[in-house]
Amino acid sequence: MGKSSRPPRNPQAGTDRKAKIEAVAAQGRGGVNKIIVATVVAVVAIIAVVTGVILNQRSATDAITAGGKAVPAGTTMGQGLPAFTDATVVTGAPTLEVFEDFQCPACKIFEDAMGETIAKLGTEGKVKVVYHIKTFLDDNLRNDSSMRSGIGALCAADAGKFQPYHDAVYANQPAKEGDGWSDAQLRSFAEGAGISGAALTTWDACVKAKKYENYLTAVEEQSGKDGVTRTPTLRLNGKDIELKSLVAADGKSYDPAKLTEAITAATTK
Amino acid sequence: MSSRVKDVIGLLARLILGGVLIYAGAVKVGKPLTSQRAVQAFDVLPFELAGWIGLILPWLEIVLGVLLVLGLFTRFAGAAGALLMVVFVAGIAQAWARGLSIDCGCFGGGGAIAAEDTQYPQEIARDVGLALCGAWLWWRPDSLASLDRVLFGAPKEN
Repeated sequence: MGKSSRPPRNPQAGTDRKAKIEAVAAQGRGGVNKIIVATVVAVVAIIAVVTGVILNQRSATDAITAGGKAVPAGTTMGQGLPAFTDATVVTGAPTLEVFEDFQCPACKIFEDAMGETIAKLGTEGKVKVVYHIKTFLDDNLRNDSSMRSGIGALCAADAGKFQPYHDAVYANQPAKEGDGWSDAQLRSFAEGAGISGAALTTWDACVKAKKYENYLTAVEEQSGKDGVTRTPTLRLNGKDIELKSLVAADGKSYDPAKLTEAITAATTK
Repeated sequence: MSSRVKDVIGLLARLILGGVLIYAGAVKVGKPLTSQRAVQAFDVLPFELAGWIGLILPWLEIVLGVLLVLGLFTRFAGAAGALLMVVFVAGIAQAWARGLSIDCGCFGGGGAIAAEDTQYPQEIARDVGLALCGAWLWWRPDSLASLDRVLFGAPKEN
């Protein structure tokens, strides 16, 4: 016979215990322990948050490690790409840094208005042009066209055709932000830039290997650290040029003459 | 004010603050870099720390929002929501005072924008209103149709 089946020595004790249990239950009113519920909620919330953050981090890390670790000629990891490098630089010529994302509509507007002027001054050696190709719009637009077009442009740079490729990407920017470019389009920009034969085979391999993915990710990170929070951002000798200061008197369009003026003013005599 | 009216105010405060938090969190989830850049654009915290906050913030908003909509641990969630809004207001106000031109990135997006596109007064007014919802629940967490009532029973006073 087990202990439990034995009647209580003092009949009063059982009633006391029952009364206590009832009192506790009444206090809780629903009978649910607040601490237990709080613990369950906290555990679920922490698991959800940690899982979410880790998943986000992992997708970002995957993106970096998938590609190569190559750095384009003439620059270092995370820094901008010098353009018009064939030009003989005029003494005292300032450095113009251009921070752009190929998918950014404001960058296209800027390029359409100012691209020709920048190219002219760049090839004349009157300004040292450096492009920082940002890729942050991929995240916001939920696609990968900034990265793919960036890699395409840098693979074209390997063939000495960065500028025409860069210009072709902007010329063919989709009307709707976020539509991006197909692989065939990106390849046609390379062909249009004059890359053919063996050079085109090299370009294909470069793109397939995502050769400059790591570099572009580093550029995005570094420009963020350097306080670039919008595209396009222009820096002349390290100092931001207000885009508003380049707008024509009508207040609607860019005035290339104003950019030329700013560059001339920054040239040390 | 009768306790019935206060209960209804409590329910509205929960649904408004909770609903806005869930929405704000949901539109940022899945866009971690955008969220990180938005926090970094406030230019207050070190770059790396701001990045981590950008990763965690959307999830925190969703958790608080769900607690509020369910009416579970309403006092805690209301207080946390109110404090979060006070932090947002401080961040926006310092950006405004320092002459930065940024979008708060409250509902996705964020980063620098043209000076004439900034909406600092509207953003601050909205967040102050939400902070008041949270403050009400902090002061009087009891409300209609809350899990708190179902699980822990109605409070004795008010």
